[in-house]
Amino acid sequence: MKEDYTYVVLADDDEDDRLFFSEAFDELKMQTKVDIYKDGVALMLALNKSDSILPNILFLDLNMPMKSGLECLKEIKTNQRFKDIAIAIYSTSASEEDIEDTFVNGANIYIKKPNNFNTLKKILSDVVTMNWQYHTNGLNKDNFLLRL
Amino acid sequence: MQLRSLYHSERFLKIIFGLSLFIVLVMGGLAYKYIKELSESFEEVQEAYQLHIELEKLLSALKDAESGKRAFIISKDSTFLEPLLLGGIEVENSLKELKSLTIDSPEQQKNIAELEIKIENSLNIFEKTLQLAQSNEIESTEFITAFREGRQTMNSVRFKIMEMTTHENQVLGTKKEKSSKSLSNAPMLVYYVLIISLLILLLTYLQISKNLKNLKEKNELLETFKESTTQSEIISKHGNWIWHIEDNSFEYSDNLYRLLGEAPQSFEPTLENFIAFTHPDDLDKLTEQVNKMMENEDLPFIHYRIIQKNGTVKHFKAYGKVLMDSEGDRKLLGTTADITDEIENYRLIEERNLELERNNKELASFNYVASHDLQEPLRKIQTFISRLEDKEQDNLSSNGKVYIGRIKSSSARMRSLIDDLLQFSRTNKSEEAFEDSNINILLETAKHDLAEIISDKRARISSDSIPSMKIIPFQIKQLFLNLISNSLKYSRENIAPVITIRYSQVKASDLTNVKYSKHNLYHAICVKDNGIGFDQEYAEKIFILFNRLHNKNEYSGTGIGLSICKKIVENHNGYITAEGKPDYGSTFTFYLPVTS
Repeated sequence: MKEDYTYVVLADDDEDDRLFFSEAFDELKMQTKVDIYKDGVALMLALNKSDSILPNILFLDLNMPMKSGLECLKEIKTNQRFKDIAIAIYSTSASEEDIEDTFVNGANIYIKKPNNFNTLKKILSDVVTMNWQYHTNGLNKDNFLLRL
Repeated sequence: MQLRSLYHSERFLKIIFGLSLFIVLVMGGLAYKYIKELSESFEEVQEAYQLHIELEKLLSALKDAESGKRAFIISKDSTFLEPLLLGGIEVENSLKELKSLTIDSPEQQKNIAELEIKIENSLNIFEKTLQLAQSNEIESTEFITAFREGRQTMNSVRFKIMEMTTHENQVLGTKKEKSSKSLSNAPMLVYYVLIISLLILLLTYLQISKNLKNLKEKNELLETFKESTTQSEIISKHGNWIWHIEDNSFEYSDNLYRLLGEAPQSFEPTLENFIAFTHPDDLDKLTEQVNKMMENEDLPFIHYRIIQKNGTVKHFKAYGKVLMDSEGDRKLLGTTADITDEIENYRLIEERNLELERNNKELASFNYVASHDLQEPLRKIQTFISRLEDKEQDNLSSNGKVYIGRIKSSSARMRSLIDDLLQFSRTNKSEEAFEDSNINILLETAKHDLAEIISDKRARISSDSIPSMKIIPFQIKQLFLNLISNSLKYSRENIAPVITIRYSQVKASDLTNVKYSKHNLYHAICVKDNGIGFDQEYAEKIFILFNRLHNKNEYSGTGIGLSICKKIVENHNGYITAEGKPDYGSTFTFYLPVTS
């Protein structure tokens, strides 16, 4: 079952970042459908619904109240139903521990939030058009962190 | 070694003593034997002499009788017959005596028996002639025949006696020969015994005096050792004690008393007296260990506290080991050390460690604040500026555009400050991060990261081949990155930067600014440029955090880069130096220890 658009989901507690994210996709004009949740709890609630449509790519902020991005990641990875979701970590920090933890727990890519809107657009378009099969097979700690 | 020789000499002494005892006994026995032989031969000579005399007596008695008889025949005077009567008795006595003297010699006994018959015969004839003479028949042929017969028998008696005397002389002669041999040997033997005894005595004396000297030296050594032990006991705050297992008695060294806060040997060294000092909380533990010690005759390391009479609590540590002395008695040698200072220091260090840990945690949370919480609003400011520039460019006045530009450069500077600070605080040392690395590759990666500015500035970078080292790879890459970008940043206007990277090995003693180095050899890597340089008086200052030599409008820079370099080099137990000459260039050299 192959849809003609890419379904992208973001979970981020920061209002500004949610705004940048949706504006970037608006301007990109790609074949995408974007859903945004304001925290990890809301995200997991939606995903765990039995009739939920699963995203192709899930962007996870790490530092969120109640349920952090890392907790969401662990939960998703234990559920066989979510095995095809590509998970992109989307965080302000790029600390070694965060990168290490999310890599070990099975995230597919680590994105450090850029400080320029055009860069953000470039990153998002790259990630959406990325060949996930190819990327995941050759995944290692060096190419895990997305560099532009 | 010396103890061994002493043992050998003891054995040697025993052997000498045994040997000399044996020799003296043998020679004494020989001497006794000779002397006994001598006294025996002396007795024999005396006996032979007596025999001689008795034979003479016998002969003279017979002669007297004969001459008395002849005188009576001539004179008819009966008084001449008196010796005749006496002679008979004397002959009988002499014969008796002779028999007893020659009891050992069967030959002489036989001779005496013959002699007795002859004498009897002679006396019978004697009687017959005497009767004939009394009856005045001197002229008769019967008398003359008897008289001649008498003379003949008398002669045969005399001959027999002579024969006996000769025989006795012969016997005496052989005995004399024998005893003269003994006589000449005996003094020689006694002399030899004396000489040998003296020699043995001398040898033994020499050996004993040697041993005594040895013993004296060892005694002195022991005395010195004892003194130094006492000293070391005081210095290192420990005391020794001995438990004689066989008779269950104790000996304490002076310092053990001092450790207990008492005068040396001020109380009886018993277990009970010692245990009386023990801290009540440690009493059970100590008694248990002591009981174990009594059972197993072994004392493992134990730690307990005591209370001195003035109330001071001290921490003690004890250890013991069983030894066997030369007489086979076992004793446990124990050492008790006062470790109060160590414990106090340890506690102090532990407190400091806790404090450090707390500080480190605070720093780590500060790092987090810097990395996350400070970056987030800044990132948003920058993103919003980029939004303004993109979407609202046309709605802004020219002044507004200038202001936006200023905000943009300020926030960019703030970002580089935060990034550099984070870099600095993350430049930590962790032993696991060290690995054998190809330095040349790290240098190439650093150059690759700077490729854009290098080509912009038309910089030329040349480098020596550098051997592999055990280092923290990402830090050394950062070090090259910072040094090269520093050279690129502070290049002279209109002059293409030329950066040369040289490698050499230097001895620690050749490094003037390196003191008390743990290592003998250093890798020296030197990064030299033809940039604006700096005044040598700032050579130390440039490594200090936030220290800048230039106005930030002239050259971008946070004043953190070189501090990071210094920190990296120090993490590797190395040193970094800077040399500069204004308008000529600067040289940064870092030294990393050569580890085997």
